Formats: sequence, C-alpha cells, structure tokens
Amino acid sequence: MPAFTVIDHTELAGAPASSWNVTSIPSSYDHLLIKGSVRSDYPAAYYDALGVRFNADSGSNYSTTFLYAGSSTPASSRGSGDSNGGPVYCVPAASSTADTFGSFTMWIPHYANAANFKQALIYGADEGATSTDWEWLMGMNAILWGSTSAIDEVTLACQRGAWQDADFVQYSTFTLYGVTGA
Amino acid sequence: MAVIEAIATTYLEADAASVTFSSIPATYEHLQLRVNARSDRVNYVDTIELNLNGDTGTNYSIHFMGGYNTSTTAFGGTGYTYMQIVHCVTTLGAPASEYGGLIIDILDYANTNKNTTVMDTAWASGLNVSASLRPLVTFTSNLWADTAAVNSIVLAPNVASNFTRGSEFTLYGLNSA
Repeated sequence: MPAFTVIDHTELAGAPASSWNVTSIPSSYDHLLIKGSVRSDYPAAYYDALGVRFNADSGSNYSTTFLYAGSSTPASSRGSGDSNGGPVYCVPAASSTADTFGSFTMWIPHYANAANFKQALIYGADEGATSTDWEWLMGMNAILWGSTSAIDEVTLACQRGAWQDADFVQYSTFTLYGVTGA
Repeated sequence: MAVIEAIATTYLEADAASVTFSSIPATYEHLQLRVNARSDRVNYVDTIELNLNGDTGTNYSIHFMGGYNTSTTAFGGTGYTYMQIVHCVTTLGAPASEYGGLIIDILDYANTNKNTTVMDTAWASGLNVSASLRPLVTFTSNLWADTAAVNSIVLAPNVASNFTRGSEFTLYGLNSA
C-alpha cells in the first residue's frame, strides 16, 4: 500500500464557495494531511482566516492555541469552548495583492483513534506584495477537538469574525491525503 | 502512480555556488523541496536565496517569524530580487557534521491563475548551541508576483560564496489524483 493516497482534490472552478467539505472519509489510514491554496472575498480587508470543523460538530468543543505574526512582534493566543478550530491566518482577502493566494498545511494524526480527543496542527501564511503591518499575516495553530469519535468529515470555511463570513474564491484548491504507516 | 515522486536529488560532492532544478514538469499539483545545507560563511548562520524561472527582477516579497536564541522576531518586506529562506544554513562556525534543514512547499506551482507562493519551515541548530552561532527556527512565506508556471528553481547562499560539500537537495512532485 502506498504511504500517501489522494482522498480528495478540489479546485473551485467557477463560483466562490462558502466552504470545502469532504464526507465519508474512510478510517483505513493512519493520518490525514491537507494542503490548500486559498483566498477569500472578505471585503475591504487584507486578511481572512480559516476555520475547521470535524464531523459537522458545531458545538463548543474546540480549543486552539496559536502563534502568529503580522508585524515585527510575534504573539500567541488561545481560545476554548469555540464552535470551530481556528483562526488560521492564511487567507488573503479582497484588498490583498491580486491573484495572490495563501498556503496552508494541516496534519491530523491518528484521526480514526476512537480512544483519544483529536489534535490537529495547521501552519499557513496570508501573502501579499507588501511590507505593511497586518497586510501580511502568518501563523501556526494547534487545535483540539474534544471528541473521541473517528473523524469521517472535515469542513474548512472562512471565519475572520464568524463561521462562513466570506467565500473562498475561484481557483482556491484543497488536497486531502490519507497517510498510511507500516 | 505514486502520490509523491522524487523529481531530482543533488548531493554536493564538492562546494558549489548554487544548485539548480530545471525543466520541472508541470504535471504535478504541488512541489516540495527538502534540504540539508551548510555554507562557507565564516560564522553565524546563512540564508538561502531562491529564484524562480531565472527571474532576478524586484518581484519577490518575504514574510517570516522565528525564534532566535531565546527571543522571537518577525519581518515583512517586498521588492526583493530573490526569495529568502531565512537562516537555515549552518556555517563554518558550527561543527563539521552539522547542516541546517528546511522543507519548502510550493503549492499550485503550475496554476497560471495564481502568483506563486513558497512556504517553508527551516532551522539551523546544533549540539552545542551558542548565541554566537545565532541558531534560529523560522517559518517563512515568500511571494513571486508572477503567474507563470514554475519550471526552474535556483538556490544559492546569501552571504557565503558556496554551499559546502555534503549539502543535499531533493525536489519532490505531489500528485492530486
């Protein structure tokens, strides 16, 4: 069996989309890996943020600790009792440099382990041709989903202020890999 | 078809001023570079300069954050003539067997609807870390303000003249189907 298998690849070909959602993820892999190249239509702003939900759970079951920078001073923050994991600062918004998309990588180790709460690590960057503070932004997020359920569904959405408060624009891409151990 | 395929590996049997990957096929979804590198800078650590498709115009922007010794730092800049993979290369000041490391993702490198962004995690540490060697761990994102498909990558040390013998560079292609 190959170590990496593509479970889903989506490129928004035409219209914007309020989320990217993959369901019926088989439990046969050891880990999940997501790579994305995204931009949002959040108006009059240089950055948006990414949020994640597992198994369509919108309860207050997510905690996030994150390190981020948008100026010369990195900072860290945390939240708990949230309805999604995030914010991950990797999404250029409507005012950002044209044709520029942010990148992110997300690991979900042992996603099908039904004994433990699930942990995810995401790192990403909101790019732009700028040196102005907060017109660029980047960060690393550790997300806890307080559930022992095997993850069989992943949803990503824009959530600078609220879940799905903007759309991913055309040409945004998402690739979900299943990663197998020995 | 494997999801991850090695496109090319360069292992330096002798010091070299740069390393080039050319004629990169456009058939993958993403690229990933994995590097261990050391330069002939006398001390401290070094940075890798990276140019795409031979473009040396002022078309690159850089944003990074990192930990330097016991402090943190971050920076944003634009109008550069190369990308910068910040402080990931050990130098002659470090023990001979120590090489810095980095993993670079170039997502959607062949999508001509997008400028190309390059995101990496990099580090230059050592067994006997001291402030004089300026050890760092960094997270960097660079922008190339061009929508052309990436077909070549050139890496060179920023301060030193050469990458030293034993530096190793591997380029992978990631498929999406």
